[in-house]
Amino acid sequence: MTTVEAGTAVLGRPAPRRWGRLAAVLAGRGTVLERSLPSTVLFAVAASLLTTGTLPVANGELVLAALASAFLATLVARLVTRPAVAADVALVVPLVHLGAAGLLSAGTASAGVLFLALPPALTLISGPGRRGVLVAALGTAAVLLLPVLLASSTPAGALSGALLLGPLAVGLGGLGVNETARRLGGQAARIERLETERAVLLAQVQTRADELDLATRMLAARAQTMTSVIDAVTEQSIIGTDRDGIIRVWNPGAEKMLGLPRPEVVRKRSILEFHLPEELEAAAEEGESATGLAALVHAAQEHGSDVRDWTYVAADGQPRTVSVAITPRTDDQGSHAGWNFVGTDMTEARATERMKDQFVSLISHELRTPLTSILGYLELVLEDEDQPLTEEQRSYLTTVERNADRLLRLVGDLLFTAQVDAGHFTLKPEDVDLATVVRSAEESVRVTAAAAGVEIVVDVPEGALVLHGDAVRLGQACDNLVSNAVKFTPGGGRVTLSLRTAWQTADGEVSAEPRPDAAPVAQLAVSDTGIGIPSGEQGKLFTRFFRASTAQRNAVPGVGLGLAITKAITTAHGGMLDLVSSEGAGTTFTLTLPRPAA
Amino acid sequence: MDAALPALADVATPDTAGVRVLVADDEDDIRALVGLAVRKAGCTVVGSVADGAAALDLARAELPDLAVLDVSMPGATGLEVCAALRADPATSRIGILLLSAGASLEDVAAGLAAGADAYLAKPFQVAGLIHQVRALTARQPA
Repeated sequence: MTTVEAGTAVLGRPAPRRWGRLAAVLAGRGTVLERSLPSTVLFAVAASLLTTGTLPVANGELVLAALASAFLATLVARLVTRPAVAADVALVVPLVHLGAAGLLSAGTASAGVLFLALPPALTLISGPGRRGVLVAALGTAAVLLLPVLLASSTPAGALSGALLLGPLAVGLGGLGVNETARRLGGQAARIERLETERAVLLAQVQTRADELDLATRMLAARAQTMTSVIDAVTEQSIIGTDRDGIIRVWNPGAEKMLGLPRPEVVRKRSILEFHLPEELEAAAEEGESATGLAALVHAAQEHGSDVRDWTYVAADGQPRTVSVAITPRTDDQGSHAGWNFVGTDMTEARATERMKDQFVSLISHELRTPLTSILGYLELVLEDEDQPLTEEQRSYLTTVERNADRLLRLVGDLLFTAQVDAGHFTLKPEDVDLATVVRSAEESVRVTAAAAGVEIVVDVPEGALVLHGDAVRLGQACDNLVSNAVKFTPGGGRVTLSLRTAWQTADGEVSAEPRPDAAPVAQLAVSDTGIGIPSGEQGKLFTRFFRASTAQRNAVPGVGLGLAITKAITTAHGGMLDLVSSEGAGTTFTLTLPRPAA
Repeated sequence: MDAALPALADVATPDTAGVRVLVADDEDDIRALVGLAVRKAGCTVVGSVADGAAALDLARAELPDLAVLDVSMPGATGLEVCAALRADPATSRIGILLLSAGASLEDVAAGLAAGADAYLAKPFQVAGLIHQVRALTARQPA
């Protein structure tokens, strides 16, 4: 803005415009009317002098003719505007004025009146070209001659001298004046041209200034929008720093989280003042970078962004666990300008997670300890060969043992889901024969199925079907599916376990034949002719503690953890768990697991 | 942990007479159960204590062939007792079997890192514990 104003001030100075116009008139480049004005004024003065009697009237007719022709010529000059005739009129009007001066001189018998011939003569002389000079010289001679011809009172000697010298002086002087006028005219033309150029430039500058003003206002509006959005964030800290970590942006969320108002922080503090030095050192060691800011932004620099927990130290010295997303910031040129730190206070959430972990591990420990005693002593009683039990006693104690085992499995399932939740679930991968896993799952439910009158059909390939996975967890997943199928199938029904090799494309399509764009998989389908799952509930089936309405109506025991665990195990193995079910007709669960290429 | 043990067939009929075992668990019922299993394995219980510090003192005084230690105990944890026994040349040759109600891979790894010979998750089968005790004590040049 400052630059533009300065430019406008220089170019917009009004003075040269007025002087330029005057120079143009003097140089004979004004309009015909403008150039005839001086002589018209002098004729008006002469007319008033005649009226007051200051100037004596010798011949009234001549005086009237002189004044009439002079003013008529001025009137003509006023009326002529067409450029085509303007050049001729420009010669005629001063010539008429010249004649009028001669007539007035004769009419007043006063030689002094002849000075009226000077302005029109000058006008002719100063006009463009040398033609005016010639006309002026001849005109002057005519004017000098006119009173003589009309009055014939002047002595002949003086007359012949004046007749010779007058036009000569006018001619020679006229040439000089004409040359000066020509030069002046050239300069005036240049001034005019410069003035036009200046006006164009001025217009351009004004346009640019307007555009700049608009852009500035748009930018200001945009900045205002951004600021108001950032200021509206009160639950997340948004901190922007320059490349050296000096804080430039500090939103109300940061004020609230760290207890310092913006004026005390912006340009005054480094982001590092809110971090624990030991945490930065640990990060530096881990990322093999320098400590300080380098350690803080190392991962973001490597990967474009980084989200992890950091400890912020608030103004009151309290540590806050904050999940911070770090991204580099660029300026309008696209070069690195600093860093953005967007933080969410996770102190309470992390404390809750820790408590949950501790609670689960405590409960698990506290439940396992009494179960250890129950199962241990039961085993001693049941296996005591010295004091054999009666069949009835054995039956009762076996029931106790079975329920204690069930309790133990429940504890295991709870602990497992808690581990999955906390992300502590790890696989112990090895080569696993899925065919063996399926056969042993069948074995484990054989007795229960037989008791319930459910037939089990096993359709497993002859040889081994080996894949890479955690044998214990895969066994657990398989057991869950098979025991579910038996549990939800009424007597007289059938459960089919079929295992096959297949190929799966990236979009999930499975075919029995190898295809070049498909990866080898193992597929276990567990089908039953059971009570089925209502279609509206199938989406929630893998949610922890969810139990289908059909399960509840038929009073099938369970807590709703089995499928959630099976799903977690499948996902951890990079596999998929799908189901097809219709209420009253049965359910098929399909477990698809990646297997190594043969 | 299986790799640390001789195959069960090798210890089917071991001579465990005179093998001295220390039992430490803060749960009275489990301590008694472990004591029973140790005796069923043919060994002698030389001490039965309910906290880690007492277990360490007794191990130093009695120098048993095997210490069956619960992991979570007052005084000192089973892992701490295990590390202390291994650090002292006088007690470093004592066989150590850890018992714990935590059964994750991390727990097993921590137990073995502390210097235990074997690790058994609670609840354990009494028969399994008897086999472990026999297997660990049969290694000793009794």
